[in-house]
Amino acid sequence: MGQQQSTVRMGMWLFLVTEILFFGGAFCAYATYRIVYPKDFEAGSAALNVGIASVNTFLLLLSSLTITLAIRACYLGRRKGLARYLMLTIVLGAAFLGLKAREYYLDYQEGLIPGVSRLSPEAKEQFDGRMAALFAEGEKAEAAAAQTTDTAAADLRSRAQDLKSRSTQPPVAFNENLKVVLGHNKSFAGKPLDEQAYAQGSLADGDGHTHDYDPYKVQLFFMFYYSMTGLHVLHMLIGLGLLIWQYVLATRGFFDHTARYVYVEVMSLYWHFVDLAWMFILPLLYLTGPHSAGQAVEQFKQAIGLGGH
Amino acid sequence: MAHDHHPKTAVHAEEAVAHEVAPPGRTFAAFFVIAVLAALALYVGFSDLGPWKVLVSLIIAATQAGVLAVYLMDLKQADKLTWLIALSGVFWTGLMFLFTLTDYLTRYLGVL
Repeated sequence: MGQQQSTVRMGMWLFLVTEILFFGGAFCAYATYRIVYPKDFEAGSAALNVGIASVNTFLLLLSSLTITLAIRACYLGRRKGLARYLMLTIVLGAAFLGLKAREYYLDYQEGLIPGVSRLSPEAKEQFDGRMAALFAEGEKAEAAAAQTTDTAAADLRSRAQDLKSRSTQPPVAFNENLKVVLGHNKSFAGKPLDEQAYAQGSLADGDGHTHDYDPYKVQLFFMFYYSMTGLHVLHMLIGLGLLIWQYVLATRGFFDHTARYVYVEVMSLYWHFVDLAWMFILPLLYLTGPHSAGQAVEQFKQAIGLGGH
Repeated sequence: MAHDHHPKTAVHAEEAVAHEVAPPGRTFAAFFVIAVLAALALYVGFSDLGPWKVLVSLIIAATQAGVLAVYLMDLKQADKLTWLIALSGVFWTGLMFLFTLTDYLTRYLGVL
């Protein structure tokens, strides 16, 4: 029996090695791109919701505690305790996923999806304003050209044409949306935004730190953000399914044979691994960019509808 | 069978009996350490450490992962083969990083 149990554990660890390599591959690809585009990845990270990520970190950590307590309850033959701890773990895992879904929804609303074609309302306002200004400048140059007869007229006319054609170019929606998110509420990373620098397409936080970025490379960062967190969410969904299954088994008395605690333990290994992956996702995706604690609190309050917009 | 009490079998049986579920004190202590490290990770994430930020963050994450694996995933009581398997995961991932990054970290040296 003992040997059987250690074989079951070993089998799960063997599976986890494939998982470590699976996530490791994603992290390795992330590392290579981040080395080449460090500033762009920091700008992308600055656009993420650290408030939700911070709370989720502790939810997942708590679930790692409750599932470990569930193993002990099973081992000691406490059926009610086992069911209670499994249910607590399910609730914590579901709360994590609920907040994560909210976060994805907010990302969608802000238009932070690579290749997106929809401008967020604020981005549309800013973009239309900029295009109207370009067009007006073009008109002005045209009017000036009409009043001039010397050689400067040709220059002015070509300038007017250039300005007008630029004013009709379609926006790259992601880039415009990103600009709005990064300069949101005239603050950047919780500090007052240097508006002059912002208008010129660069970010400065008022402390003299500027953050130049190429929005196309920030799109690459977002590909990593969605694929890595998406992979993590997928693992959590599978873990949640296993938890629910074992909860049902627990209420039906399957674990009354206390030696079967090893099944709870083996499932917990998988759940802990999901927590382990998050320990690296948090600093590498969310905390890479400039952020502040105040901003995190504000973002979380807004996300759950407590703060004003 | 005549060799029911083969000494090797007896050792295995003892090893198996020795495996017990971790006492709650150890579980809570491990949780506490990881939670404090998580708070520290957030503190570092919200600070401006420049290029050191990623290094400090990764050291914290690796420590968290270590405590989680040894105490909550109970490698502490695992047999040698399980340890070997767990460490091989770290080893192969390390190789993947090593060979990839030695290329990418040096590839642009002459260009940039």
